Amino acid sequence: MITRNMVGGAVTIVIGAVYLYYAHQIRVSSLADSFGPRGLPLVYGWLTIFLGALVLGKSTVAVWRLDGEARATLAQEEWAGEGRSILRAAGLLLIATLYLLLLPHLGYPLSLVLLIGGVILYMGAARTWRVPVIALLGATMLWLIFVKLLGVDMPEGFLSTLLS
Amino acid sequence: MDTLLATIPYLGDWSLILAAIAGTAWGIMGGALPGISPSITMALLLPFTYVMDPSSAIVMLASTYVGAEYGGSVPAILINTPGTNSAAATVVDGYAMNKQGKAGLALGISLYSGFIGSMVGLVLLMALSGPLAKVALSFTPPAYFALGVLGLSVIATLAGDSMAKGLIAALFGLMIATVGTDPVSGANRFTFGNSDLLNGIEPVLVMVGLFALSELLAQAALTRDDQDRARSRPRIEFPDRKLARRLVKPQAIGSAVGAFEGVMPGAGGTIASFMAYNEARRWSAHKDEFGHGSPEGIAAPETANNTVAETAIVPLLSFGIPGSNSTAILLGGFLIHGLQPGPMLFQRSADVVHSLYAGLFISIIAMVILGILILPVCVWMVNRPRAYLNAFILALVMSGVYTIHEGLTDVGMLLIAGAAGFLMRVLRFPFLPTVLGLVLGYLIESNFRRALVLSGDDYSIFVGDWISIVLLGLAALFILGSFAARTLNFIRGRRSDRVPV
Repeated sequence: MITRNMVGGAVTIVIGAVYLYYAHQIRVSSLADSFGPRGLPLVYGWLTIFLGALVLGKSTVAVWRLDGEARATLAQEEWAGEGRSILRAAGLLLIATLYLLLLPHLGYPLSLVLLIGGVILYMGAARTWRVPVIALLGATMLWLIFVKLLGVDMPEGFLSTLLS
Repeated sequence: MDTLLATIPYLGDWSLILAAIAGTAWGIMGGALPGISPSITMALLLPFTYVMDPSSAIVMLASTYVGAEYGGSVPAILINTPGTNSAAATVVDGYAMNKQGKAGLALGISLYSGFIGSMVGLVLLMALSGPLAKVALSFTPPAYFALGVLGLSVIATLAGDSMAKGLIAALFGLMIATVGTDPVSGANRFTFGNSDLLNGIEPVLVMVGLFALSELLAQAALTRDDQDRARSRPRIEFPDRKLARRLVKPQAIGSAVGAFEGVMPGAGGTIASFMAYNEARRWSAHKDEFGHGSPEGIAAPETANNTVAETAIVPLLSFGIPGSNSTAILLGGFLIHGLQPGPMLFQRSADVVHSLYAGLFISIIAMVILGILILPVCVWMVNRPRAYLNAFILALVMSGVYTIHEGLTDVGMLLIAGAAGFLMRVLRFPFLPTVLGLVLGYLIESNFRRALVLSGDDYSIFVGDWISIVLLGLAALFILGSFAARTLNFIRGRRSDRVPV
């Protein structure tokens, strides 16, 4: 039986260990103060590992102390529905990552239309004429705010090359 | 009294009125866009002030600051995204009220508290510029370190059910704050050769990822039935007399904390709003409501960060010291027009100072009027079908974060922060300690090490002056009090056979 706290504790230990490893790589100049640029990162890293172990240990002991019936109930309830939730979240994250990858090539306006349209459909909206219209209007509105009003230098992509 | 009498004639100056209204409207819009900080909003306006007369230019910039500090609460309440760093504490109860169909009331409380906080801040700015600035100047590195520790002590009550998980979350924030150039020696830390990371990771980027993106990721899993939610009426509801009476205490706490934090260069609205939230909860008769849509949980931080918007100008006017990015931009506005803030400003350009006071008053009134006009439209927008709304929010936050440095690294970091936030949700880690650790990390580390350099590694410097002793004593008191309350709850939990796993 693996609880959320066990996973949380284990993940924390890994994060703490990786952070600590890189904290040791920080170069300390001979002109640095006595505490140095490594000082607090090392403290943070060790504390994180200690607290992660504490959460993991406490949860392990708590589960071990449960009787058979309580453990079975916990096993059923602890992660109920989370698999689907994580997969759906990963899907949305994938769409956002695709947007990030396409943005420099397609440019801001076109990427935005695809992002808004893709997310609307992914979130379960009916496939009607509204989807492309809203995607186009939303992208235009954001383009006007960020590019025209605020003067942000957004990626222009191949469209600007074609137009110029 | 003399200051007040000298200020009154400027209240009828149409150029100041227009500058204040335009600045406030611009500020609210900038503050409401995630990723656009008050300082960026002000910086975008700076070139337009070249051609204006000095008084109108300064008023417009200061009004933008006031509007932006308020505007940050709008997305915090409506879409779980703090528009500014200092609105992070408003997210918790503001968004919870929105989910209960009380967005109009939450926005009304935020606007009402913003008005109270701004007015208190303005009165303090006018009356106490001199004495308050002297307090600010007596802050040494050990005192700033103690202030950071006091801020971190808030984690003891923000940690949620598990103190260990709350501390881990805070450590995550402190760890993120170490990314970039070391504040004392200049060494690169955790930058992995990426020059975009040399200046560290922007707190607002992490906040948007933790709150907004992780919320969108969580909602991606909802079925259409789950997505049916309480819809708010598209109108602003101000608190009735009974609720207004209840909000007096958190607003007083917010004003006091905001005044204290605002006059200290570097402290800022974010620490003020978290401390005000924490203290409001500590002294509330409805502690259990906090985190689940408490009106007091909106009133305290909003009063605090709006008080800071005015009191942060105190050290700038009195000594020419900009305590934040926003006041540094305001200083730029002064310098552009050949004005040097400091003690001589009150003698040489008293008209500009009095115009500023008048302009700030007008901008506070404008903030309320604009809020009443704009906010119903915002509520209407968030009542749209969830699929359309979430797509727009995702596009908005990704565009907003891009503007921080106009680079894709920030957008990539946003996605990582969002994924981390989603994982923290699944594993039930609280977010607020992470935000607090992130905001306070730099303040604590830089001042801790500077103090040691100053004292030649003598640790007694941290209890060497009365300010540090008082702040550290308060922090110890808060932590011990929270531990005592937790121990009591633990014993009660044992008695009822509730064992956490």
